[in-house]
Amino acid sequence: MGGEPPPAEGTNIEGESPEVEPTVETDDATITDDAELERTLGLSGGLAIGIGTMIGAGIFVFPGLAAGQAGPAAAASFAIGAVVALLVALPTSELATAMPKSGGGYYFISRALGTLAGAVVGLSLWFGLVFATAFYLVGFGYYAVDTLAELGVTVGDRLVIPIALLFGAGFTVLNVTGTENAAKLQNGIVALLLSILIVFLGYGSLDAVGLIGESAAPEQFAPFGAMPILTTAALVFTSYLGFAQVATVAGEMKDPGRNLPLAMVGSVLAVGVLYVVTIFVATSAFGSEALAGFGETAMVEVGRHYLGAAGAFAIVFGGLLATMSSANASILSTSRAIYAVSRDALLPKRASRINLRYGTPHVALGLAGGPILVLTATGRVELLAEVASFLHLIMYGLICVALIALRRDEPEWYDPEFRVPGYPIVPALGAIASFAMIGFMQPTSQLVGVGIMLTTAGWYVYYARDVNLRGAL
Amino acid sequence: MTRVLVPLAILEGESVSPGLTTLLEPVDVTVLGYHELPEQTPPDQARIQYEERATEALEDLVETFRVGGNEADHRLVFTHDREQTIDRVAAETAADAYTIPGASGQIERVLVTLTGNVAVDRICSFVGELIGPREIGVTLFLATDDETGGRELLETAADTLSAREIDVRTEFAVDTSPFEALLEVGIDHDAIVVGERAPSLRSLLFGEEAERIAVESVAPVLVVRNLDETVTAADT
Repeated sequence: MGGEPPPAEGTNIEGESPEVEPTVETDDATITDDAELERTLGLSGGLAIGIGTMIGAGIFVFPGLAAGQAGPAAAASFAIGAVVALLVALPTSELATAMPKSGGGYYFISRALGTLAGAVVGLSLWFGLVFATAFYLVGFGYYAVDTLAELGVTVGDRLVIPIALLFGAGFTVLNVTGTENAAKLQNGIVALLLSILIVFLGYGSLDAVGLIGESAAPEQFAPFGAMPILTTAALVFTSYLGFAQVATVAGEMKDPGRNLPLAMVGSVLAVGVLYVVTIFVATSAFGSEALAGFGETAMVEVGRHYLGAAGAFAIVFGGLLATMSSANASILSTSRAIYAVSRDALLPKRASRINLRYGTPHVALGLAGGPILVLTATGRVELLAEVASFLHLIMYGLICVALIALRRDEPEWYDPEFRVPGYPIVPALGAIASFAMIGFMQPTSQLVGVGIMLTTAGWYVYYARDVNLRGAL
Repeated sequence: MTRVLVPLAILEGESVSPGLTTLLEPVDVTVLGYHELPEQTPPDQARIQYEERATEALEDLVETFRVGGNEADHRLVFTHDREQTIDRVAAETAADAYTIPGASGQIERVLVTLTGNVAVDRICSFVGELIGPREIGVTLFLATDDETGGRELLETAADTLSAREIDVRTEFAVDTSPFEALLEVGIDHDAIVVGERAPSLRSLLFGEEAERIAVESVAPVLVVRNLDETVTAADT
């Protein structure tokens, strides 16, 4: 990269300063003064992280809840979510190819907009991911209970939270002690899931448009008007949070200039289409009122409607896999988010220690797993989802602002391989849409979100006021 | 100049046996210290914590090579994928071979197997450079189903090495499992030279052949790289 960026300066209250070293980025490795960091993730790995994180929520948890709020127009809510995600994914791709480092959105914002914005986003992202993971885990709990029911063991919904807690703790321990290559497993799970869904949705769509089977009961598209479409879009936006997780592994991606934009944009497009079709198929099978009555695992009943017991079983199995992969991928992202801020001295350095025995970041994983379990215990699916979206949307909006800020006065080192089409309209729309989505959330979620942001800003003022990160690559 | 890459899991205390250090004296050496991480850990996070310790260990190792008089340098890589790292650094340094460390004292006789995907004259010229004028014997080994063609190949190869005043013996195995036969011959040798193999279903299931030879024989193994393949891969 041409030009010398200014160094990171200042120390936090414990006297630690940001660990920033000049690096040279190639397609295969990041080269620092004394060492090299291999890039090992390919495009399929990136897509698996993006799709694997997203797919659990959008298809397997939300259809019932969303149809209850917006009717068949819930499909439009998912489409709106996809458009907003795309408007953010494009600017994120540009920034990620210009700064292909671990840390994702936090990294771009702290470098373009300064330490305060960076600290708020970075620390909020930690909590955002914690809320998202708790949400996926509760979804997993519902599917686990339904799996037992399909197997003939009826335990009822009171076991949802205990199961979610058990597996949340299990995933955390597994991430600390497990050194097997789970990435390949994740790729396999995503591929299997996609095949199940494509078969199922393909059949369901043919049925729904009346080509096979009996024709569906006609229902008004938007029975509750336009407003619920937007509030539902705000709720289900959690289904699109995965593309930013791709940016958190930007430092490990091979040929980042090509693979990062493809993985981010590609995973948003892929899941966006799947979501919209899913809702269409689901609302064609049942009226939206009936669908809402089935709750978090409504898709199981949809599966049963089209393909009988086999369909129900396929969906239950898919739901278990999908929510599990979302939860696990998010725990990993959380630990990376903590590492990114602690490297920059916004959290104590201890937080990014690696343990000798397993080579895993046990402190960061613990800082992820602990709060996740507390939030999972609340079991409030919609609140968890909305707060997660709130904190991510703040970051998304600021990513777009960061892009505009950098482009207006391009520093010498700024040389992205991918440039966002339609500048400045796309990033401007991305920023406006992100912030606007927040406006359609429930007041409680907004309150919790604002509270977390104020707390992180307070932490910055107390702990790391003197750290300067703007422009320090 | 001939260059050999010496990959070592540096933070796990992997080191080079004295025999291998001596064997590599006539060639340039790049010590590749790597640390393989589970995917939960960003490589940079490990770098911050371990870089200093790893660099110190590498500098010590490079010194031991320089004592013997060879050109030596080192690279340090944090990775999720050891094989990818070895392949990349080997290509970047244009190394002719890489090592799999094993136990060995003084090296008196080296087993060289011609069974593999690397051209025989390439292996022979590498072995010629490696042994040089030293008092180290070479046993050429070939396992094949084609008896006449195989013997001829083996004789030609032996002649090229004899011409460089190297003490050469030959071992020929027909209609047996090449792997078993190689290990049997390998018992009274102090190091083994093999040609790189193209990835196959077999290597996917059982691991790379060179690795298995190293595990079974305990001796250091030198894998001669297939340069033609590297060139075409870089071109496309």
